[in-house]
Amino acid sequence: MNIDVSSIMDVFDSIAPVLPILILIIGALFMPAIQMIFKRGKVTAATALVVVIISAALNAHMLYHGQTGEFSSLFVYDAFSGLLILLFQAVVFIAILVASVSRETTARHVGAFYALLLVATSGMCFVATATDLLTIFVGVEMVSIPSYAMVALKRHDSRASEAAVKYVIIGGLSSGLTVYGISMLFGLSGTTNILGIASYVEGAGYSAALIIALATMIAGYGFKIALVPFHSWAPDVYEGAATPVSIFLSTGSKKMGIVVFIKIFFVLFVFIQSTKAGMTEGMQYVFAILAAVTMTVGNVVAIAQTNVKRMLAYSSIAQAGYMMIAFAVLSQWALTGTIYYMFAHVFMKGGAFVIVAILIHAGIGETLKDYRGLAKRAPLLSALMLIFLFSLAGIPPLGGFTAKFFLFSSAIVTDLGGAVTAQWMWLAFVAIINSAISLYYYARVIKAMYVEKGETEEKFKVPVPMMVAAILCVLGVILMGVYPGPFLHYCSEAAAAIMSLLP
Amino acid sequence: MFDEIPILTLMLVIPLVGAALTLMMGKGKEKFAKYVAGIFSGIVLILATILLFEENVAALAENHVWIDAANIRISYILEIDGLSKLMVFLTALLIFLVVVFESSESDRPNYYHTLVMLMQVGLMGVYLSADYFLFYIMWEVTLIPMYFMISWYGGPRRHYAAIKFFIYTHVASLVMLIGIFAMSFQAAELLGSPIVDFSFAVVASAAPLFEKAFQILVFGMLFFGFAVKMPMVPFHTWLPDAHVEAPTGGSVLLAGVMLKMGSYGIIRIALNVFPEGSIWWAEIIMVVALVSIVYGAYACVAQTDLKKMVAYSSINHMGMVLLGIAASLLYIKYTASPVESLASLGITFAVFQMFAHGLVTAVLFMVCGFTGHSVGTREMPLLGGLAGKMPYLATFMMIGFMASLGLPGLVGFWGEFGVIFSFYVGAEAMGHIWLIVFCLLSIMLNAGFYIWAMQRTLFGRETTKIDMSKVHDVSKAQGFSLAVLCIFIALFGIWPDLALGVIEPFASSFIDIFQGALLP
Repeated sequence: MNIDVSSIMDVFDSIAPVLPILILIIGALFMPAIQMIFKRGKVTAATALVVVIISAALNAHMLYHGQTGEFSSLFVYDAFSGLLILLFQAVVFIAILVASVSRETTARHVGAFYALLLVATSGMCFVATATDLLTIFVGVEMVSIPSYAMVALKRHDSRASEAAVKYVIIGGLSSGLTVYGISMLFGLSGTTNILGIASYVEGAGYSAALIIALATMIAGYGFKIALVPFHSWAPDVYEGAATPVSIFLSTGSKKMGIVVFIKIFFVLFVFIQSTKAGMTEGMQYVFAILAAVTMTVGNVVAIAQTNVKRMLAYSSIAQAGYMMIAFAVLSQWALTGTIYYMFAHVFMKGGAFVIVAILIHAGIGETLKDYRGLAKRAPLLSALMLIFLFSLAGIPPLGGFTAKFFLFSSAIVTDLGGAVTAQWMWLAFVAIINSAISLYYYARVIKAMYVEKGETEEKFKVPVPMMVAAILCVLGVILMGVYPGPFLHYCSEAAAAIMSLLP
Repeated sequence: MFDEIPILTLMLVIPLVGAALTLMMGKGKEKFAKYVAGIFSGIVLILATILLFEENVAALAENHVWIDAANIRISYILEIDGLSKLMVFLTALLIFLVVVFESSESDRPNYYHTLVMLMQVGLMGVYLSADYFLFYIMWEVTLIPMYFMISWYGGPRRHYAAIKFFIYTHVASLVMLIGIFAMSFQAAELLGSPIVDFSFAVVASAAPLFEKAFQILVFGMLFFGFAVKMPMVPFHTWLPDAHVEAPTGGSVLLAGVMLKMGSYGIIRIALNVFPEGSIWWAEIIMVVALVSIVYGAYACVAQTDLKKMVAYSSINHMGMVLLGIAASLLYIKYTASPVESLASLGITFAVFQMFAHGLVTAVLFMVCGFTGHSVGTREMPLLGGLAGKMPYLATFMMIGFMASLGLPGLVGFWGEFGVIFSFYVGAEAMGHIWLIVFCLLSIMLNAGFYIWAMQRTLFGRETTKIDMSKVHDVSKAQGFSLAVLCIFIALFGIWPDLALGVIEPFASSFIDIFQGALLP
């Protein structure tokens, strides 16, 4: 038999850029089988962790060596996608650690749960590498459908069922809107490639059909990010779902939405702006207003919440508003800031949710009342929560502050080395006022933990994996705060990779 | 002498270690926390005293690149000069004395000392850092211990006061942060450098290049941030609440050193980077200062709570600091060829007033806090004849009040006299000498309410409205703290050159650079 070795090598070479993602998918397929064989949830979780670690190690290696490559011109691996894949891997790593001991993820579907989790993660990674509207759409669906199932897994809980139904309906609506928008764009421009569409828009200008197409797509993917006014599902879903799933959705799925926005709208408008500067101004204002409204509504409504999980959900909405600043400013520095913020957000919001998960696990509850006197009962846990909340509020020297420092500064100076412009200064002011508002409700949790007296001072046990997850998050938050250099370097490389798509 | 030792870093690290140690004290060992904190803050105080007399301060500067990525350069720079020398000394002194004084009002004494030590890290950082990123971090770091200090050890309305303090000053800091962004980025653009450097020196080197409109705008943002901290009317409302609810040590640090951060920032950053902007704002600064002075003094008269009265008097005295700054600006603005010695007068005495107020207000808050604690109330209508039961306290209170109202021979006199004198020079240059009336009004009111307060609380017949049987005088440690402060108040009152000698070289070189940047 005559096997052409070189052709096999060619196949390997061609799949190399997506190999980290393939590992996740293959791992996902094995999950139910491992659960069947060992019948122990922890073994399955450990296997899932190993799969994620292998995939992340490979990805980190590729990122570190600056590898780039593409797979059939639909998926591109570069500094941006590599970094974002790493982010999604970090998210799923934390989610698995928490899920492995959580009582909220039912015992009956453990194999399926981890399979769904890994498939959803690989979908996110596909979105990070996709360059075409269709592949982006498929990637997003690959995340959405497992997410519906994961939310519904806590099926004896009426809140979870409600959340799942809401999530499916809203998700279906959002997919429908997006497909509608994509089909119109394809009809107009004859391509689904984003740069192709960009050059079409640049040539043809805004027609009514194009505006409808863009609007439906912003709305459709806006649901994913939970932009106001497309946000109403998010608090219910985050509150109703099992906390590991909430972690995954609020830190991962939301980031994927931002990535989609970057891949489609950022690239589109930066491309147009680079040739016809005046043409994007209207759209920039649309994004600026979306950003301002989203952060304000998220923060103001969060003040009224007494359930900490729900409060964090609203604060997630607000944080998405901050990240939208990049789409108003449309510059490489703003994009760097947003990517940096995404990472900080994973650690601080993920960490805060981990603490919430620990308290639910210990049977303490999730309302503000249950947090009273926590500092006496669990000093370390309260200290970690304190750090996460201060970081979310943007208090230095934590990751959240550094991220805000970079991101908000982009509203003052569009690009580094350029002049200070007054155009988006109002957006920076809205952002900082919001930042101060958010301090109020975060401080309420801190006050409950540290100042108010609880009914009991009884200690409780914290499962090791959850503690590990919390400590990993806190390390991330502190490192991003006091030693941001390396993170900033990779974020700016990633932003440069996006900018280099432009001719 | 300190070529090898990074002494400025030690000023941050020693309290940090102290904070860590006191935090880890277990149950039953809390009382050792006081000694640990005392030793660590004592070492810092010794270092600060040595620094005060160190001539060759340029050699002490430390400069390490901290973040250098994506065209952003943030450095860890610590520097010290005449202005920061004095502030560092004041901080070290007050922290040490607060630790010695120690309010026994805490059920978790070790955490109290942890907070004090953390506050020292932040305060020292603010006064030493010479990079905007580092400065901002330190600026915010001071907030967190103070928040906890008020909400753990404070009075009945402590939750409200703590959160009000936290959010109010945080908003101000954020506005300042925007200002910092604007000037750092614009400086990079004007200097034609592809790298945005956040160090004080680099941004200041662009000072003559900034456009006037830009200077006016960004100076406004910075001024807002600093004025809230000082606090100046109308942004002062957080202060009385915070002071009334804070524990004694918290009040001392809040008024003694934290308020100075505001005026320090105005001199160090706002004036230094935006000479033209600050000249434009000169009259507005003056009006804000005069309003604060008069309003603060009037508000004092209306208070019945001893501590609240002292809190409002802080607004009055910090207004004096700002008036000194305004005096320099006005003189430069309205004089064709300003004489340097007259131009630097306002800045010199503003800094002196900062120092003086730090010493005096510490005494005042200590005696008020102690009175409240020992007698059970601070309401002046309920008090009376305390001098009989508490002779030492009465003595210290009298010295404090006299120094605060500006009795010659005590430190407060030189601060107020100097500021008013320099303001006279400024007002004369402007052609509105009558403005000095407001200062005189303030002096009059000050003398009035302090003497009245003394009469009502210390002298006269012992009150029958409250139970005076358990009232006791200050303990030895508390007496020591108060005595040290009173000695300094008298020392600097008799020999103001001790402090002026440190300030003057700074002020004259500062004005030199300031005027140089103004030249076309």
